[in-house]
Parts: sequence; structure tokens; C-alpha cells
Amino acid sequence: VATALGSVSQIDRELARLRVDPESNEPYQRTSVMTHIAWVPGEWVEAAEDVLAGLAERHPSRTIVLVPDREADDALEASVQVDCFPSGQGRQVCTETIRLRVCGARAGVPASIVQPLLLPDLPVFLRWRGLPPFGERPFEELVDVVDRLIVDSTEWPGLPKPYERFADVFDRAVVSDIAWARTSRWRPQLASLWPGIGGVRRIKVTGTEAQACLLVGWLRSRLGRRVELEHEPSDRLVGVEVDGESAPFPPGDPPDPADLLSDELDRFSRDRIYEEAVRAA
Amino acid sequence: VTETAQTQRQQENPLLEGLRLQRTPEPCALVIFGASGDLTRRKLFPALYSLALRRLLPQNFGVVGVARSEESDDEFRERMKHAVQEFGRDEFRDETWEWLAGGMRYVATDFADEPGQDRVVEALNELDRERGTAGNRVYYLAVPPAAIAMLVHAIGKRRSTDGWTRLIIEKPFGHDLASARELNQQVLEHFDEHEVFRIDHYLGKETVQNLLALRFANGIFEPVWNRQFVDHVQITVAESIGIEGRAAFYEEAGAIRDVFQNHMLQLVALTAMEPPIDFTADSVRNEKVKVLRALHTPGPKHIVRGQYGRGYIEGEEVPGYREEEGVGPDSMTETYVAAKLFVDNWRWADTPFYVRSGKRLARRETTIAIEFKRAPHPPFEVTEDDGLRPNVLVCHIQPDEGVSLEFAAKVPGQGMTLRTVHMDFLYGGAFRTGIPEAYERLLLDCLLGDAKMFTRSDEVEEQWSLVDAVVAFWKRDRPSFPNYAAGTWGPLAADELLRRDGRTWRRR
Repeated sequence: VATALGSVSQIDRELARLRVDPESNEPYQRTSVMTHIAWVPGEWVEAAEDVLAGLAERHPSRTIVLVPDREADDALEASVQVDCFPSGQGRQVCTETIRLRVCGARAGVPASIVQPLLLPDLPVFLRWRGLPPFGERPFEELVDVVDRLIVDSTEWPGLPKPYERFADVFDRAVVSDIAWARTSRWRPQLASLWPGIGGVRRIKVTGTEAQACLLVGWLRSRLGRRVELEHEPSDRLVGVEVDGESAPFPPGDPPDPADLLSDELDRFSRDRIYEEAVRAA
Repeated sequence: VTETAQTQRQQENPLLEGLRLQRTPEPCALVIFGASGDLTRRKLFPALYSLALRRLLPQNFGVVGVARSEESDDEFRERMKHAVQEFGRDEFRDETWEWLAGGMRYVATDFADEPGQDRVVEALNELDRERGTAGNRVYYLAVPPAAIAMLVHAIGKRRSTDGWTRLIIEKPFGHDLASARELNQQVLEHFDEHEVFRIDHYLGKETVQNLLALRFANGIFEPVWNRQFVDHVQITVAESIGIEGRAAFYEEAGAIRDVFQNHMLQLVALTAMEPPIDFTADSVRNEKVKVLRALHTPGPKHIVRGQYGRGYIEGEEVPGYREEEGVGPDSMTETYVAAKLFVDNWRWADTPFYVRSGKRLARRETTIAIEFKRAPHPPFEVTEDDGLRPNVLVCHIQPDEGVSLEFAAKVPGQGMTLRTVHMDFLYGGAFRTGIPEAYERLLLDCLLGDAKMFTRSDEVEEQWSLVDAVVAFWKRDRPSFPNYAAGTWGPLAADELLRRDGRTWRRR
């Protein structure tokens, strides 16, 4: 059910109304394990909705989708949705999605809009689509209200340069990078080449630019030596060569985007190995 | 040893740091005795398939099915394929099945004679050669109790000298203390305790393990988890099904051997145990066995047995126990047991644990309810009609897995009217991933050599010594059976058991 709303109090009232089963007049059981904020500029809306659809059932949460539109007149346009999923015998749990179009000047101060909507005492995850505008107010504000920032550096142009600015965020929020998660099947394969890989001089990565940068950064930082990178563009990570020798292909299917984001939402601790790989990329 | 080796490898190889590596079992072959039985079809193969799908089985793995009925390898594979498709919890993938089926062999023998044993050894040697199972063996004894001693002896004589050997033994382990002791002795003649995995599938249930998380990973429960704050504990293991054609087994076992001796007493032990110093097999089992040793029931008056008569389940009339196929018209086998138990230790002295278990009860439910003492002096006027109840923390083991807390809340409006409300944590609501079947968890634990969730010889013996004491009481009288109708909550005497203490069973 979706209704257009213009203020936080209207959103709260509408959510309370939707939480009651119209047939039985009994409240649904709300289950939340986190607040999940997604910052989704217009060009990412479609991709973001696909991922969220696969995610809601696995991570019952309050999801706040922020779609900024700086060019429009100053306004807040919200819609809310309550989705119920069967759980146990004859029981249902429901999750909530709040979609907010933040227009004009409001797009510059998103923290004041999301803070009243955060579920108390639960972790807050922020999924930032595209390259974050480091140093700009919306990004800096939101980083300070969340526990974990999730990005996908595959979406970033001009790598590896943006990693330098990204590293500055590490001491302010715990970060996850889905591009890094996409290399997780390959890293044990490369580790299995030890001790031979200890003297590697050059790797060739057939995959995205982010995967190539992160894998070479990982090897440089872990081995403490200079490693050259040759990058063969591909939209998926399909091969790694170590000094001209192909690394063994990992078993199993690569996970889909919703699985990758879902896995990141299960993690709370800082990944220092990733941070060092970013710094060395 | 495996964990130490892993840490060592990590120290040498800097690329391993931070990798989330799953512990995978070493290469091995699993031999299932009782391969034509229901357990293999409904539980073991669906569990093996789910493990294979998640790549949790070793790359070098094989299964030898052993049973008396004649069957070829291919027929066995085909039968198990249908079983996985029918009873598995995951989507069926041909490639996963093909991998598993490639390592499957079948040997028709009762394993009592040398030629039969030779053929099993031959199949295992073949798996070593073709699948690289490296001489490591897990023997799963999914057979009737009478066959166990012979199998243990035969396997023990022929155990592989190349790799490790583990033995999984299904319940019931013996039928009284003397037989359990004898069986333990026979097993320990050929195997060390760390090689023996006595299975009680309740311990593989996620929600049973969650009881340990609830108690020992949270600061708020343990301080009140004792006689000072807890009025009493109620544990219910209720089934709405009857004996499902297992009359021969059930006539011998009854409710006390089928459920009370194992699942029920394990739930009591997990509820009452002290915090273990770590989460290793011996630390956890040391604490459980202390509870089992401290358990006693105050006397025959505090134990109730029952047998169901004709009644209604979900609107359908069902026969009484004595009318079930294979059951005699004057059978005195109990299908219900309720008891008041005490754990004689510092934490629980004088705190009753009321336990009940039965077949053909009103609903299927396994719960552990911790009922706390009432507020000493509520400053509100509360009448009986308000239905204000003491706080109860309920662990729902099945169905609707989760935890709920009952507490008093003010009813909105004028005045101070109070009502009991529930705060629910629904397992499937917070964690939307499928809950693994108990057998998946236990099979994998055994392949990894982790015996934490299996019962040790001393636990089994302590459980039997309590059961023997109860059975001894029962020899002195002959109750009038049937004494409860199918579809109800058991005999009236069970209600009386609590009423005498000014308490009642929980109803939902």
C-alpha cells in the first residue's frame, strides 16, 4: 500500500495505520533487526529497487530509500509500504519501507530527515549508490549517523583515485565494499598458491576495474611487496593470472547482488584487511 | 589439532589473514547401517544433500549404504534421489546430486558374516582409491537396538588402520541402566569415547542451541536464572501424532524411553546447567552431567503416566492406543509421562521442574517455560479476573521457534488496569534464512570430530538411572488405562500434580 506523505509525523501515522491487519484489526508482528538507509540518486533507482526486493524478506528491517533531487522545488515527498511475510504456523512478520524524495535544499540536509525515522537501539546501515561526494554535506552528515557504510566501488569512475578519499572514512564508520565481497571467492584460491605466490611480481585480472585494484591492493598489502597490475576489462571477475600462470577457478556460482548486500548486512566489525587493500590499491 | 594446524598455516601464509574460511571436514567415507530404513530416507540423505549443496562436505567423500534387502548401487542411488526430492529442504540440483551419487555404493548384508563384512570393506577400499577418502570412516548405526552390539563388535574388529574412525549410534542407547552400561563397555572395548557420537537429534536443533546463546551470551538472564527468582520450570514435549505404525518399538519403549530418557532430560540439563568454561565438547558435557547426577524425583506420587484413548485430533476421530495396529487390547504401555523433578544443587534447590511428554496431545509443541516469582508487593489493586500472571520466559523449541516474555502492562485508559502481554522474538522473523535440519548440523559436527552436541557415556547412564528409578515405582501399581482422550492435554492426574503445589500447566 503506498500513499503520498509530506512530513515525518505523517509517515509515522501512516506506518501505524498500515501495521494493523484490516481484516482482523490485529496488529502485525513487526520484526526489525536494523534500519537500512539507501541513498539512491535518480539514475540508480531501478537497480536499487531490484536489490531491495530480494533483500526485504531476508533482513527484516525498516528501509529508508532516499532519492535526492536538488533541481526540484524544496519539498519532501514520501510513501510508505508495509510488506508481510509468512513466518511459522499462521503467523506473519512485517517490514517497512519508507521512500523519500528529498527535493531542493532538503537534499543537502538528509540527516535531519532520517534521524527521527531511525529505529531506536538498532544498527543503522547506509547503502550509498554511485561515487560518494566526499566532503559534501549530504554524504558527510549521513556517515556520522550510521554504523556501517556500504558502497560498491564498481560503480565508481576513475579508479583507483577515489580510494584515497574513501580511506578517510574508515575511522568514522565501518565500511563494506560489495566489489571487495565479489573477490571473496577468488582470494582463498590465490591464498592456496602459497608459498609460490609470495614472490609474485605481476598479476593480470580479468574483471571490473574495482576488482583488479582491490585484488592487487590486497596482494601488495599482505605480502608487503610491489606487485604490478595488468587489467583486462570484463563486467565479472573471470580470471586471475599470477606471473603469467592462471589461478584455479573458484568452485560454485558467483552470488547475486542481493546476496552480496545481504551478507554485508550481517557483518558489524571493521575489516582491516580490506582497509589495507584500499590504501595499497 | 585441526584448529591449531589452521592457525599455524595462517601465521605462515599472510594471504589467509582475514579470510572467512569454513571448516571443511577431512576426506572420509560414511557407512550407513540401516540404509533401507526410514531415517536414511527421510533425514540422512536429505541432510547429506543439503550439506553437499552448501559445499560443506569434503571434496573427497563417499557413502556406503548397508542393509539386508537386495539392491544394486544404481537402485540405491535412485531411491535416495527420490528421497531427497521428497524430503529435502533445498531445491534439487542435478549437478549436486550427481556429485553425491558418484560416491554412493550399496552392499546387501546384515554384516553378521565374514563375506558380508568383506564386501563392505571392499566398497570402502574402492572409495579410498576412486574418491580419495583416505581410510577415514564414519559408521552410522541407524539400526534397531538389538543389532547394535553385534555391529560395534564387527566394525571394531575390522576398523581401518589407515585413518580415523567414528561411530554414530542412534537412540535408544540401551533400554535401562544395566543394558546401557553393558553397551558402553562393548563400545569402549573397540573405540575411545572421543570416537563415539551418541545422537540425540534434539541437540542438533537450532532452537535448543539457542537456549545456550540466550543463557550465556546475555547478561540479563543468568543473574535471575536460579531459585531466588524462578518459581518453577515447565518443560513440554507434546506430539499430536500417534505411534505412526511403530507399535513393535513403542510397546517396548513407551513414552519414558522414547522421549523422557533422552530429549526431555537433555532439555532439563541444558536449562539447569552451570555456564561451561568454554564451548568445547567436554566442558559442555561436564556441566550437563552434573545436572543429570543431581536430578531426582521425590516419589511415585510425583510421576504420572497415561495412555490415550479414542479422541479427536484436528476434528478427525482417531483410535485409542490399544486399538492401534500391533498393540494388544490390554497394553499397559504409557504414551504420556509427567513428573516433578528437582535438581539438588545450590542454584536450583527446592525449585520444581515439571516436565511432561506425550503422544496424541492437543497440539505439537516443545517449550521450556521459566516461570518467575511474582512481584512481592504490587501497589495496584489486581483482581483474579484481570488475569495478571507471573512473568514467564518461554523458549519455543518447535513450532514457531523463538523466545517470548510475558509481563504486565497497563491497559490504556482511566485507572490502573493491568494485563499480561507478550514480547515475542520469532526466530524465523529475525533470521530469514532457512533453519538447517538437526541432522545436517549433527552429521557435519561428526565429520568435523566435534562431539559437543552428542551425549557422552556418563550422561546416558545418568539418564537411565533416573528412568530406572521411575520404572521401579511403576512396577508396584497398575493404573487404569486409557486415562486421557486423544486431542487433550493428558490425564487429570497430571493437572493434579501441579494443583497440589498451587500451580497449573501452561496452556497456549
